[in-house]
Amino acid sequence: MRTILAFLRANWLTATSYRIDLVISLISLAAAAVPLYFVSGALQPLMAESIRTEGGQYFGFALVGIVTYSFLGVAVNSIPTGLGKSISSGTIEAFLVAPASLPSILAAFASYDLIWTTMRAVVFLGVGAVLGARFAPAGLPAALFILALTVLAYVPIGLIAAAMVMAFRTTGPLPKAVFAASALLGGVYYPTTVIPSWIELVSRVVPLTYGLRAIRRTLLEGWSLGQVGGDVLTLVGISAVLFAVAIPLFLKALGTARRRGTLAHP
Amino acid sequence: MTHPRAQSTNSLEPPFVLIRALTKSYPIHRQWREILRRPFAEQWTPALEGVDLAVERGEFFGLLGPNGAGKTTLFKVLSTLITPDSGQAQVDGLDVVRDASQVRRILSPVIPDERSLLWRLSARDNLNLFAGLYGYRGNGRATRVGELLDIVGLAEAGNKMVGQFSSGMKQRLLIARALLPEPRLLLLDEPTRSLDPVSAERFRRFLRDEIGGRQGCTILLATHNAEEALDLCTRVAVLDRGRVRAVGTPEALALRVAEQRFRIYTRAPDAPAFGELLQRGLAQSLSMTAAADGQWSVVEVEIPKGNEGCEAVLAYLARHGVAVARLERVRPTLAQVIEHVVAQHPPGTPAAAEAPRS
Repeated sequence: MRTILAFLRANWLTATSYRIDLVISLISLAAAAVPLYFVSGALQPLMAESIRTEGGQYFGFALVGIVTYSFLGVAVNSIPTGLGKSISSGTIEAFLVAPASLPSILAAFASYDLIWTTMRAVVFLGVGAVLGARFAPAGLPAALFILALTVLAYVPIGLIAAAMVMAFRTTGPLPKAVFAASALLGGVYYPTTVIPSWIELVSRVVPLTYGLRAIRRTLLEGWSLGQVGGDVLTLVGISAVLFAVAIPLFLKALGTARRRGTLAHP
Repeated sequence: MTHPRAQSTNSLEPPFVLIRALTKSYPIHRQWREILRRPFAEQWTPALEGVDLAVERGEFFGLLGPNGAGKTTLFKVLSTLITPDSGQAQVDGLDVVRDASQVRRILSPVIPDERSLLWRLSARDNLNLFAGLYGYRGNGRATRVGELLDIVGLAEAGNKMVGQFSSGMKQRLLIARALLPEPRLLLLDEPTRSLDPVSAERFRRFLRDEIGGRQGCTILLATHNAEEALDLCTRVAVLDRGRVRAVGTPEALALRVAEQRFRIYTRAPDAPAFGELLQRGLAQSLSMTAAADGQWSVVEVEIPKGNEGCEAVLAYLARHGVAVARLERVRPTLAQVIEHVVAQHPPGTPAAAEAPRS
């Protein structure tokens, strides 16, 4: 925890040293909900039937989809990006010779992005609520829990991408492929039920499909955790399988980098 | 000059740093053509070849040698950043591979790369970040960070952004960072290379008196600067092409070379007899250094048999009518010692044993 706090502080100080960027980022975020509101209003009649069990209101549906999708960026990109920056800036050796554990250093790479994305999500959903998005506050704890599970299901992809960075200094197409598949097949902008049947089969292996459906049902409909138990269990299962693949791959890449002496080569 | 702590190397205590038959190779970066021709035939180049070293607790130990000698690789192995191919390295009885996390609690390397600092943060915040990683909290952290900024002379610049620092200031901050955990073993890789002569001298004094002296820290110093090693180190090892070529006190190593290097004062430095000394194996190298005064010239000569060989050299010169006014032993600089040691070990020769301690 100390490692994460130390990184959070350093990242916050670094971010605030770019003052203009910080201010512009916050203003543009608040403004982004407005066009979504108008587009949602236009699409509402078309989507109402298909999102009946996921809130029924397209504006709320889209807000939750976009916010959840933004967390995937943290899960998939933060660790490989943090690692890549650390390798190219030369800080990786300084971090690795400290007695902090490797998982805590990796978590620390993602911690600032996670908090920043959470803040952005709160602002985005807050502006959405002001504009008329309907939420079911009782479902919030369950929705947060499922969000955490969804993010966790994508962390192994981040670990595999980090292993690629360590081995080849690039993540390759993996993160982009995962983002594209999740955005198109995970139900970010439309429910997976409207996807043509043969592609819909593919959407069943996308963790976001289950995560988003469960988050919407809890946060927009007020369903309990038990009522979305099937989706939750599927998410847990997918996470377990992905972690079982990703952890050995990451450790193998780290061991190889240590053996080949390439850990700090930019 | 014999450093007082040179005596500690004779203690019965097990060595603090023990390296046995350590070997490390790196893969050679191949061209595309080579990869396509033989995709799986990797080539490796040795960085360390059977290195044996023992460093005593509290010792100030120097690693000398030309570029590519293996000094940095050795430090990276000790720092647990690189896994050795074979052999063993232990710090205070802990294996650097098997007990890596415990080893990291004992030692601290000065990562010499300025890029490893966070340039958008102040010096204080850089240290705060790493103090967090080393487990410092609250007031303890602030006190330790303040203490270190003071020690490395950055107290006044502590709140300045590192990006605005000079190279010397960044170097001092890197050192402060390495000192954060109060290490029992400090690994210094060319610590004064970016410092001006005054700062370098101040830093050396700080290392000797504070870190080595008062805190009793064991220090391994890799340096190209032989005089720095002579000034600081109780013992030095000369590394060349991944092998330890010589180990001993600077004095003992110098004596090795001094035993063979002599200065001959003569009026006939160009006499053919000098060249004949080389042909007959009585001398190994000859160089005319400078005219000592208006009458005498000085010829520096390396006599392989030392004192015993001098007699034969003098007799030969006398027989050939070369007048010699004086013959004296040359006291070599440590740089000359390194050059000599390296030159004596062409590729393929085995590692050398430790020189006798003076």
